[in-house]
Amino acid sequence: MWKNRAGKIVKNYTIKHLIVLLLLGSMFAGVAAGCTSKQKSRENDATFTVGFDAEFPPYGYKDENGEYVGFDLELAQEVCNRNGWTLVKQPIDWDSKDMELNSGTIDCIWNGFTMNGREKDYTWSSAYIDNSQVVVVKSETNITKLNDLAGKVVAVQADSSALAALTGEDATEDNLKLAASFASLQQMGDYNSAFMNLQSGSVDAICMDIGVASYELKARGNSFRLLNDHISSEEYGIGFKKGNTTLRNQVQEALNEMLADGTFEEIAKKWEVDESICLGQEGKDAVMKQEESDGGKNSSVSGFFDILGQLAAGMAATLVIFVLTLIFSQPLGLLVTFIRRSKFTVLRWIAKIYISIMRGTPLMLQLLVVFFGPYYVFGISLSSSYRFYAVIIGFSLNYAAYFAEIYRAGIEAVPIGQYEAAEVLGYSRSQTFTKIVFPQMVKAVLPPVTNEVITLVKDTSLAFALAYTEMFTLAKQVAATQASIMPLFVAGLFYYIFNFVVAYVMERIEKKMQYYR
Amino acid sequence: MKLLEMQHVKKSFDNLEVLKDISIEVEEGEVVAIIGPSGSGKSTLLRCATLLETMDGGTLAYDGKYATSNQADAPTQYVGKQELKEVKSCFGLVFQSFNLFPHYSVLKNITDAPIHVQKKDKAAVEQEAKELLEKVGLLEKADNYPCQLSGGQQQRVAIARALAMHPKMLFFDEPTSALDPEITAGILNVLKELAKEKMTMVIVTHEIDFARKVADRVIFMDGGVIVEQGRPEDVIDHPDNERTKAFLQKLTD
Repeated sequence: MWKNRAGKIVKNYTIKHLIVLLLLGSMFAGVAAGCTSKQKSRENDATFTVGFDAEFPPYGYKDENGEYVGFDLELAQEVCNRNGWTLVKQPIDWDSKDMELNSGTIDCIWNGFTMNGREKDYTWSSAYIDNSQVVVVKSETNITKLNDLAGKVVAVQADSSALAALTGEDATEDNLKLAASFASLQQMGDYNSAFMNLQSGSVDAICMDIGVASYELKARGNSFRLLNDHISSEEYGIGFKKGNTTLRNQVQEALNEMLADGTFEEIAKKWEVDESICLGQEGKDAVMKQEESDGGKNSSVSGFFDILGQLAAGMAATLVIFVLTLIFSQPLGLLVTFIRRSKFTVLRWIAKIYISIMRGTPLMLQLLVVFFGPYYVFGISLSSSYRFYAVIIGFSLNYAAYFAEIYRAGIEAVPIGQYEAAEVLGYSRSQTFTKIVFPQMVKAVLPPVTNEVITLVKDTSLAFALAYTEMFTLAKQVAATQASIMPLFVAGLFYYIFNFVVAYVMERIEKKMQYYR
Repeated sequence: MKLLEMQHVKKSFDNLEVLKDISIEVEEGEVVAIIGPSGSGKSTLLRCATLLETMDGGTLAYDGKYATSNQADAPTQYVGKQELKEVKSCFGLVFQSFNLFPHYSVLKNITDAPIHVQKKDKAAVEQEAKELLEKVGLLEKADNYPCQLSGGQQQRVAIARALAMHPKMLFFDEPTSALDPEITAGILNVLKELAKEKMTMVIVTHEIDFARKVADRVIFMDGGVIVEQGRPEDVIDHPDNERTKAFLQKLTD
């Protein structure tokens, strides 16, 4: 029976398909093996893995020596010491925190983690910090109160408590009105790029936690200031996977001990957050107590079509990046090819260096340079609309380099005899290129160009580096709000279908060109 | 009347001297075959004559129009772009590997240059191209692409393409060496037909039979110089020079 089947497979699908299947199979096997071994080690060792955003001082960040430090991490270390655990500091992508927690790759989120609005999504410790959302602006601006923010561009961290306070389900009337008065609300990946945006003038204000704000202001000198009006009050707690009360209780107990013997306050003083601490105050364990009585109820997850609707704007943005990049990078690539093939050594070298840099550095870095370069190098203040242009410019410059090398190979694949025949027949140089060389080059470069185009579809997701909300950024944000990976699946499906169409169209064009060899 | 005149031509590649002071003249209506072993410089001479290669020294003129300054002893100075264009219109070249444009149909291969380079009337050019195709026996292939044609057919299209430009003379660079022997006969017939019409032709070949059957004059080259030249029956059947004898002997072995 088995033998028969195997024989049939070879017959029907050819050896090539079989090899692909084998490769896929071994990949899955490898992934599965990786998973089981990891789970095992977690059972054996008493490790305690804390997930945190490594760019969130003073709660958790990377210091000058490259060590992960901060108020929360020091508390976690002390808790581990008291329980005899080994602390593992795991920096995470903030948008993926729920997936990290649910899959068990981290034990808790301990990182200035706002409880308000998330009460039912996690098993919480008691609140230990009372924090407010404040507004940071440039010192020289004339914004002094919240009303002045009307018509301004305001930044928040993606999926942050500031965002929730302004637009979330539990946002107050006042806050919703305030947010509606902004020209736009930009979501940034991290506070560092938010401050770079603020300094360069592409945003007018940042809403953020008071603790982080006072740290950042201290670190960045007096070019920024805080508005006196605060946006909303909120509390920080330690978030555990829903239902994991055993671990929560162990941690809570250690925290209570630390509060009783003064260690907690000592650490708080060291990190200058002692004015905000609220651990042990009356009512601060309300969320923790509440959960014990109502048992775990899951928050609702949207259906496929809801998600599709939420992602529609991102899909449009992705398409726009894709189309504009192709429109600009192809002719630009051809121009670079010409320069690369120029008679003049200097020009040739300029093109060579350009291509080398564009191919040799990450596209994400190039996007950042294009966006922030004008301010940091030339001191030009940036408008918010430049964000979009920067995405298109960055992508076009990068892809032009790749296209240039593909075109060059295509041009060099045209036999010398074609040039000689054209010369003897009296064609001019430009006629020789447009009538003889270019059409043959196009045919030769179609397969590698298809590869680049497909890569571009997926690369559009890098626009998140400039906080430009395209498809994938949006999918991650929706996934974070809903604590579901469904939006990511929908995003994956979108990319796959997009690329399927691209591959189909390119194949048709290739077939059309088959009329000659 | 002298249609082609090359005097004291010198050409080196790096330190290798390929043409050592060669002079050659071709009369109007004459058919000249250049033979010789590989490396003798015969192809380089043809490439210099068709301006695909620049000469280091010597002069080049077609029908009295100079492509170079008329000083044979100084390094070659070429004339301006516009004058070169005029000189180039005097001759056509048929390549060993045909070099048809693969993305153009047979008809477009022939008509494109007369229409877009010589700016002739499209309808007239197409009419003439069809006549040329009929002459080389390929009228029914007008709408085919080169890849659908055999080597011999492609070479006949290449000849038609060169003729459509109305050159005063035609060069052939080893026109049959990429072809099977039985195909060669077809090309030979086309060349004989052209010779009958008094088309001036210079053919670089290593097929002695071919040279004997079509040429008025045979030039034997070796080591970058002309060793011997004259009527085919003299040079091929009764060579004076030892090197010519050795070369012909090797071919008949």
